[in-house]
Amino acid sequence: MSRVVLRELTKQYAGNTALSLDSVSLDVAHGEFICLVGPSGCGKTTALRMIAGLETVTSGEIEIGDRVVNDLAPRDRDIALVFQSYALYPHMTVFDNMSFGLKLRKVPKHEIETAVTEAARILDLEQYLDRKPGQLSGGQRQRVALGRAIVRNPAAFLMDEPLSNLDAKLRVQTRAEIARLHHRLGATMIYVTHDQVEAMTMADRIAVINLGKLEQVGSPRELYDRPANQFVAGFIGSPSMNFVPMHVVSVDGGIRVVSPEGEMDVTLNDAESDMIRRAGVTEVVLGVRPEHIDNRPRSGLGLQLTASVDVIEFLGNDEHVHLSSGSHDLVAIVDARTPLRIGDSLTLSASSEAIHLFHPETGVALK
Amino acid sequence: MSTATNVAPPRESKLVALVKRRHFTKGAVNVVLALVAIFWLVPTISLLIISLRPESLFGQSGWWTVFTAPAHLTFGNYSTIFSQGFATGGVLNSLITSLEITIPATVLVALISSLAAYSLVFGFWRGRDIIFLVIVGLMVVPLQVALIPVVQFYRELGNLFGLNPYGTIPGVIIFHVAFGLPFGIFLMRNFLTGIPKDLLEAGRIEGAGEWKIFYRIVLPLALPAIASLAIFQFIWVWNDLLVALVFLGGNVHTPLTIFLYDQTRSLAANYWIVSTGAVVSIVVPLIVFFSFQRYFVRGVLAGAVK
Repeated sequence: MSRVVLRELTKQYAGNTALSLDSVSLDVAHGEFICLVGPSGCGKTTALRMIAGLETVTSGEIEIGDRVVNDLAPRDRDIALVFQSYALYPHMTVFDNMSFGLKLRKVPKHEIETAVTEAARILDLEQYLDRKPGQLSGGQRQRVALGRAIVRNPAAFLMDEPLSNLDAKLRVQTRAEIARLHHRLGATMIYVTHDQVEAMTMADRIAVINLGKLEQVGSPRELYDRPANQFVAGFIGSPSMNFVPMHVVSVDGGIRVVSPEGEMDVTLNDAESDMIRRAGVTEVVLGVRPEHIDNRPRSGLGLQLTASVDVIEFLGNDEHVHLSSGSHDLVAIVDARTPLRIGDSLTLSASSEAIHLFHPETGVALK
Repeated sequence: MSTATNVAPPRESKLVALVKRRHFTKGAVNVVLALVAIFWLVPTISLLIISLRPESLFGQSGWWTVFTAPAHLTFGNYSTIFSQGFATGGVLNSLITSLEITIPATVLVALISSLAAYSLVFGFWRGRDIIFLVIVGLMVVPLQVALIPVVQFYRELGNLFGLNPYGTIPGVIIFHVAFGLPFGIFLMRNFLTGIPKDLLEAGRIEGAGEWKIFYRIVLPLALPAIASLAIFQFIWVWNDLLVALVFLGGNVHTPLTIFLYDQTRSLAANYWIVSTGAVVSIVVPLIVFFSFQRYFVRGVLAGAVK
């Protein structure tokens, strides 16, 4: 079983007062594909490098396949790492690059041959085995880096933004290739990326990290539907969620949430009213995703707002419309066939299920 | 999937660009370059011709008269100086002594410099930058100031351990290695900083220890630097007269430089031996240069990262 467990993993670099990684705990099941996402410098790569053994552990524990590996050298951890830069050996052929690790482990020659040929077949690299990395395109190099990891058949694959150096089209293609590879090998994969789209499309579960802290772990759907806090809500989904600070007002024994200038108005359902009462707040941050705002007429529960059109971004099937409502800027995604012009005044709405409410100070989602 | 190879064409040199812009013809440029090359080669060619002319002609006519009377050329001088074979005091014996000094002094400098640079660049110990600065500082020490102290140090070694390197070939080698190292480490360290750390980390994960990483990954990538260092050091040691003169004082085996020096210092210098011996001493560095130049390849790191 190649489970990977992090227990309160903490990293503090010498000379730094801040923690680069602050007591992160994560349990990655055998065969699971988990993505660590977060903005640049959030500590996700540090976490991966600690699992690989390239960084020392300040405190906490790393367990790979039921063994605590804190004090093991990288080569004894039974992991493979795909680098963001690919880190191919430029003086070796593709075959030698892929077989380097096996040769060092004194694997018999015919086994090496079989493993490399098989990996080359899976990755469509068979005709390039005699080439050097300098003679390959970016996508091919990326696949050699993957192949080098595959041939070793490790307990866990670690990947550090492996797609960030590819152009957009190749990235989509390779994304699918890695997902297929994971399916085929059934191996545990820990994948670091700053691109939430990659995380959403490939991962079984996503761990969102910010400023060294684990913000939330869950399936892509959980993170999208029930973000634990304002950071996760804003990070997952593109364009990101709209946030508006709102007042809580009592009306006829019930409560409503309205924007300071009154252009936005939320009629709460009972559960939401209870949430606000439990939290005992008079201010709240409203979150609503651009794709959930539309111009369908809605009455009753949910959000109503009036806004004027600032910018229209045509994307073919739909349009991203930048709106201003009172002193707030919002983005909404609307059908491209909607006739809109800059300066138009609109009445828009969002359904009750699309409403997210966050604590105004802590940013935690109200429950 | 595309099979494009993405190999960038070599960038045009400034000269080539200039030629294109100014509409010089390629032929004119080649003529100028050839003239410069010939001008630079004149001393060497004249030396070669003198060595090929009979001893008796040396005082009578200049070497350039060979172009009007080429029949005078002969290998006589060579057969005379080689006739002694490897006997002590002969040119071949000196050639062997020169090789005995130069090869170890070059190999050791290349090896120790690479190892030291590896540690300075990729090691984890504190104070690496300070040590490097001290080493760079040592480059400015002229070797003359160290001659007498080192001789005394050698003698002290002899008193303490009964091993006095003074007057021996290893004694000369040690001196050359010590004075070759600061520049060697400087050159190698600056080259190794260009090797991406990711490559070493990849090796570490795949199971390579420090030693394997050094000679399977770092050393092959550092070959261009090692080749240039080896050529520098080889030619420097090969041409050295001062150190050999001081440290090999009474030794009967002398390198070529001392052999040639001995021929000139008597009142009537043996110019035919000097010229012939000098040609012999040029041949070896030429062989070294031409056999190492294939390591001067651009873009050894192409395709490593990104």
